[in-house]
Amino acid sequence: MTALLEAKGLCKRYAGFALRDVSFALRPGRIMGLIGKNGAGKSTTLKAVLNMARPDAGSVSMLGEDFFGNERKCKQRVGVVFGGVDFYPLKRLRTITAVTCRFYPNWDQQAYEGYLRRFALDESKPFRTLSEGMKVKYLLALALSHDALIYILDEPTSGLDPVSREEILRIFRRIVRDGRRAVLFSTHITSDLERCADDITYIRDGRVLQSADRETFLRSFDHLKTPGETGNLTLEEIMLRTEGREADEAAL
Amino acid sequence: MKLLYKELALTAHPSSLVFALLGCLVIVPAYPYSAIFLFGCLAPYLTFVNARETNDLWYTALLPVSRRDSVRGKWLLTVFLQLFQLLFSLPFVLLRQALGVADNPVGLDATPAWYGLALAAYAAFDLVFFAAYFKSGYKAGKAFLLAALPLAAVMAAAESAAHIPALQWLDNASPENLRRQVPVLLSGMACYAALLPLAYKTGVRRFEKVDL
Repeated sequence: MTALLEAKGLCKRYAGFALRDVSFALRPGRIMGLIGKNGAGKSTTLKAVLNMARPDAGSVSMLGEDFFGNERKCKQRVGVVFGGVDFYPLKRLRTITAVTCRFYPNWDQQAYEGYLRRFALDESKPFRTLSEGMKVKYLLALALSHDALIYILDEPTSGLDPVSREEILRIFRRIVRDGRRAVLFSTHITSDLERCADDITYIRDGRVLQSADRETFLRSFDHLKTPGETGNLTLEEIMLRTEGREADEAAL
Repeated sequence: MKLLYKELALTAHPSSLVFALLGCLVIVPAYPYSAIFLFGCLAPYLTFVNARETNDLWYTALLPVSRRDSVRGKWLLTVFLQLFQLLFSLPFVLLRQALGVADNPVGLDATPAWYGLALAAYAAFDLVFFAAYFKSGYKAGKAFLLAALPLAAVMAAAESAAHIPALQWLDNASPENLRRQVPVLLSGMACYAALLPLAYKTGVRRFEKVDL
């Protein structure tokens, strides 16, 4: 199956941190979770994919086209949500939408109004008055209304209560249900991935440690099991043991 | 046009629009009109500060536009604010003449030469401001301080001209002096037409390297 989004060999060097050779593929109908501890490079990866941080090397293809060479065209089919970033906090949602819809020839106003009702969003409210969960829902409503095929979300569930998180994850599942669209989201909350991710990419110290479907991913960490342990490790155990081992070695 | 619409609807700080309307100050009987140049530069500066505080460049990066378009939006808004300010001042110059208000005793009158100097001041400011701001995408204060240097030089030249006897023709609206001022106006227009595209290109080149 052709990937909707494919990153190959992305590298980005900062003072004190480097993203090295990051590769993964997002297929239609799938939800991919990008996992890693704070500072591992999840956000940098997403920013490099979207050309917000210019990669030093590597390529990104979206819908079969080179993203960096066809940025405008590719972005027509991408919806992006950055959790925790306030856009135009004093502007009403109505004003932000009136501007945003002009950039998308595929904009579907009826669908947009439907999502506003479904997510209980009031267009007359300024952006800053929304809760974190409602902000994510608003940005998702914008993305859904221009018929995005790829949804890229950075920490969309961080700082949300369990009910709101579950609601967002349910929306993700609804997005990919038709098999045309795909979701890539970063998180450090392992339970979110256990609930909805089909594929998992684990980033550690700027490198992809593993990127695979959930079953393969879990099995590939069997070497972390202690004698006598049966069944797959949980994602939390995998993270703790992978990151903890390094910390223990550093302490010694 | 959608880029300019976006800038006006989401990014432009309300006080930027007020500063653009201050072209009307040319009707004040005694006033250093070169201060209007400063207002024409404060207008884009405040909007750039507002853009930083509202994560505008981030939001723009999520839209189906390129980095070049991000710079173009700000550039279009700057040109719009500055040219609107100067065009908006014209009816007030005519009104002042119709009312028979005496010449400005403080400094240069709003003569064609003054408009030429205004365009030169804006061109010099914008060239430095765009180059400095888009080096980082957020250091608006530093960009303003750097760009204020050539602006201050043109402002000082405009204010001094009115007090130098040999340059009195710049401050006088008699038909003969108006003819002499036309080259100054045309030079200002040429300066604006040449340096603004350069400001845009420099901004794009620098912003291409910025990590958001």
